Amino acid sequence: MLYPRPTSFSKRLSGMLIALICAFPAYADPVLIAHPAVGMRDVSLNSTRLIFSMQLGQWPDGGPVPVYVLPDDSEVHRSFAKDLLSLYPRQLRRVWDRQLYSGTGQAPEAVADPVEMRQKVANTPGAIGYLPSEMIDDTVQVLSIR
Amino acid sequence: MTRYKYSASARCRTVACLRGGIAALLALVPPVLHADDWTDDVQVHGFLSQGFVKTTDNRFFGDSDDGSTEFTELGINASFRATPSVLLSGQLLSRRAGDMYDGSPVIDYALVDWTISNTPEHAYGVMIGRSKNPLGLYNDTRDVAFTRPSIFLPQQIYFDQVRNLILSADGLQFYGRLYDEQGTFSLNLGVGSSPVDENVEISFLGSDYGGDVESGDPAFVARGEYETRDGAWRLSLSAAKVNLSFDAAPADPIGSGEVDLLYWIASVQYTAERWSLTAEYMEEPIEFNGFGPLVDSRDSTVQGYYLQGSYLLRDDLEWVVRYSEGFTDKDDRGGTQQSAATGGFVPPYAFYQKDWMVGLRWDVTPSFMLRAEYQWNDGTWTLPRRENPVPSATVKDWEMFSLLASYRF
Repeated sequence: MLYPRPTSFSKRLSGMLIALICAFPAYADPVLIAHPAVGMRDVSLNSTRLIFSMQLGQWPDGGPVPVYVLPDDSEVHRSFAKDLLSLYPRQLRRVWDRQLYSGTGQAPEAVADPVEMRQKVANTPGAIGYLPSEMIDDTVQVLSIR
Repeated sequence: MTRYKYSASARCRTVACLRGGIAALLALVPPVLHADDWTDDVQVHGFLSQGFVKTTDNRFFGDSDDGSTEFTELGINASFRATPSVLLSGQLLSRRAGDMYDGSPVIDYALVDWTISNTPEHAYGVMIGRSKNPLGLYNDTRDVAFTRPSIFLPQQIYFDQVRNLILSADGLQFYGRLYDEQGTFSLNLGVGSSPVDENVEISFLGSDYGGDVESGDPAFVARGEYETRDGAWRLSLSAAKVNLSFDAAPADPIGSGEVDLLYWIASVQYTAERWSLTAEYMEEPIEFNGFGPLVDSRDSTVQGYYLQGSYLLRDDLEWVVRYSEGFTDKDDRGGTQQSAATGGFVPPYAFYQKDWMVGLRWDVTPSFMLRAEYQWNDGTWTLPRRENPVPSATVKDWEMFSLLASYRF
């Protein structure tokens, strides 16, 4: 009994995942994006990690940085965390939880999918997020990580 | 009613106090800030966990020898980002834990966090109000099952019976972080008063006397931590210094006195992609003064440590294995001298505990989790005294099976 068997729910979930993967075949690597009015072209790796760890909530001009993320178990999120930030998703989760449940910080805003990600970042001043590169359009700007 | 015996701290843990506190905190925020879209800056989160405990012998979190469900954790928190540098937050916690805690809601924390400076190189600020004590790897979020490595934290370090003493403090907590290419060094320094309850009195003085135990001199808490940039290594040293004063009632067999304790933990954790190793070591020197020779001679140094490994079998399935040891007096690890001092009333095995634990965590979804664990114990030190009032009636070798379901939002 220590090995719970996958329920129909988890089967359904994996079915949904497969459907999702098929719907967006071969995602390119995620890229960092921001609201078009953010007056920067690149951000340091250090600052990017701090922003996504919810520990640096301000742009250099003092404006707030709303942070958007995809669900922990999404492939794009994993790839973003591992390849761009060199962090495992569960390390990010640990940092968020520790702040969130001790009253010392807030959690990033979770969005359901890349389409919602693009729409939120495009419409929220100062916002930051990430997208598969083929989903970039002129509603958001790409930030390079230096 | 003994419930309000510790009224100064107990009453302030009620809902009414939180309401007053939040109203006061909100009054501090200039109303012009984010007047149009302030709801975007408010977050509400929470968690609910229900456990089941079955022991072969002894009582742990209720009548566990028959199977107990008297372990429920419920928390709800709200935070408001008033400006990029000011955060207001508060959490209500209801915790039912056998005979020790009845689930009455308490204020887990309620604070204003002012980040005075925040750059990619450093950050520093101060928290005002009730904040969690940053002790060891787990104390500050110890009641949130998702953030724990197991259903129960290793009791040799994170004692449940005196948890409130080190859980939080009312006062100020300063913090600073330095970032460089390799990692983050952070330092927290707090000063305040720590809440006291009956569990504390029973644990330290051996009985719930007529007199009152109160927080004496201000408590100090400090933690220095280093975490590598990739999050792989975490090293920390943390400590709390607490003073308790006991005001004896005329009928009490002991005099008025003070308890001084220093609780410190050294922690190290290494996290790889699929596995992690964690070790923590704790010592707690305790001094009794003024109670009379019987109690004053009980000065000792509590010692506890554990080594824990975890492995991800699948992305949603994690094994954990842990070995822990703890002793009420590191100079009498077998408990024989302490037992002799009680005339044999308390058996030697009540002064130590060594255990193996294996567990499995299944993250059914990112917000719903199930856990199952088994633990083999030698010794009964961490059994709550309140649930096992007659030490000689406890069984030295005992086993525990536990289950936990936890949801968060």
